[in-house]
Amino acid sequence: MSTRWYPLYQRGNPQLRVFLPNFWMKLVRPFPSQQPNIIQFQCSMEMTKYDIKNYLEKIYNVPVVDVRTKISLGKFKKDVGKGYVIKDDDQKLAFVTLPKTMKFEFPDLFSTKTDEEQEREKSLEEAKKSYKKYIEQNKNRPDIPSWFSI
Amino acid sequence: MNLSFVRSAFKITTALTKRSQNVFRLSGVAVNRKDIHTTSKVDDLMEFFDSKKNWAETNIRVGRAWKLDELRIKSNTDLHKLWYILLKERNMLYTMQLECEQKVRLFPNPERIDKVQESMNNIETVVRERNVAYYKLETGETGERPVEDVINLIGLPEKYEKKEYFLPKFINTRWIKPYIEHGYTNSCAILKFRKFYNEKIHREEKKARNRDFNHVQHLFKRFPDLDIEKVKAEYPKVDVEKARQTKKARGHYFPKF
Repeated sequence: MSTRWYPLYQRGNPQLRVFLPNFWMKLVRPFPSQQPNIIQFQCSMEMTKYDIKNYLEKIYNVPVVDVRTKISLGKFKKDVGKGYVIKDDDQKLAFVTLPKTMKFEFPDLFSTKTDEEQEREKSLEEAKKSYKKYIEQNKNRPDIPSWFSI
Repeated sequence: MNLSFVRSAFKITTALTKRSQNVFRLSGVAVNRKDIHTTSKVDDLMEFFDSKKNWAETNIRVGRAWKLDELRIKSNTDLHKLWYILLKERNMLYTMQLECEQKVRLFPNPERIDKVQESMNNIETVVRERNVAYYKLETGETGERPVEDVINLIGLPEKYEKKEYFLPKFINTRWIKPYIEHGYTNSCAILKFRKFYNEKIHREEKKARNRDFNHVQHLFKRFPDLDIEKVKAEYPKVDVEKARQTKKARGHYFPKF
């Protein structure tokens, strides 16, 4: 298809326009911690700095001042049983600088607890309480079964 | 933002365009904004995350992927818009998945990614169909990327997808180098590789031939009243008459001659 088959660059207009870009970007927690106006992405290996800038500006309407990229090497590790070497995939990381006035803080997605979790905690606490009560009751009368009570 | 939401939003936008067109064509009456419901457009980095109510959810139900037939009746602009919606959706899902991984939590309903991907593939198929139809009508060719059968550097047949080059073949000395008389394709290593490769293929063929011949012999041994025509049709490469006469084909009964 023509949108997946890039012709050679030639000077002058009209330039190549991408109609259905297939690039992906993941917003990741910045590591190491950065200035508040710098955000970090993982993106498709084929993306250039210009691609990243256009992608954010045109699709997400986010103003971009500067883009720096690096390709981080995947980790090497040995298979535990067999001992052969496994390598993780390389990743392209993009550090995008927003204008000075903008700030972005990576949200804490899993801080709020669901109703189920809250209920579970509640029941656990109740169980703890009742057990403590039982212990308290039977402190001064060892060797007497628990059902022997008023 | 989940898939069903996306679908409804998309349907609303198409409905919106049609309705507003009608209004403008018929009369200059102002559109009553109250009866058109659109979701507010969010252009922000928060689009990389799911809507806040889904953050702590463990089970997020969504609709199915877009089918080919549904996409075929959409206009090009609609497909274009939908592509970007799906692209954003996929980015969001990837981001959430990664964050879940790093926080050691289960990513709820990972099949959402597959659904979005399937929809995107279907859009691409539809666009491609239209492209081919247009090119065939205008030029008589498909407009697809041309493919050529070539012999590659190690002497094996390959389907080569053509692409543009700065230099034509006959100027490109670097390209021609491996193919000249003392080049890489005629080098000792490649010739040796091809020799062994051909030998391997030949052996496999020979083994298959022997296997079939043996099998036919044993068939005759076990089933004396076999239909010869059918055996010939089943094993066209085997000399059935010869296989029938051999020692192995004789069973524990008097041969019928």
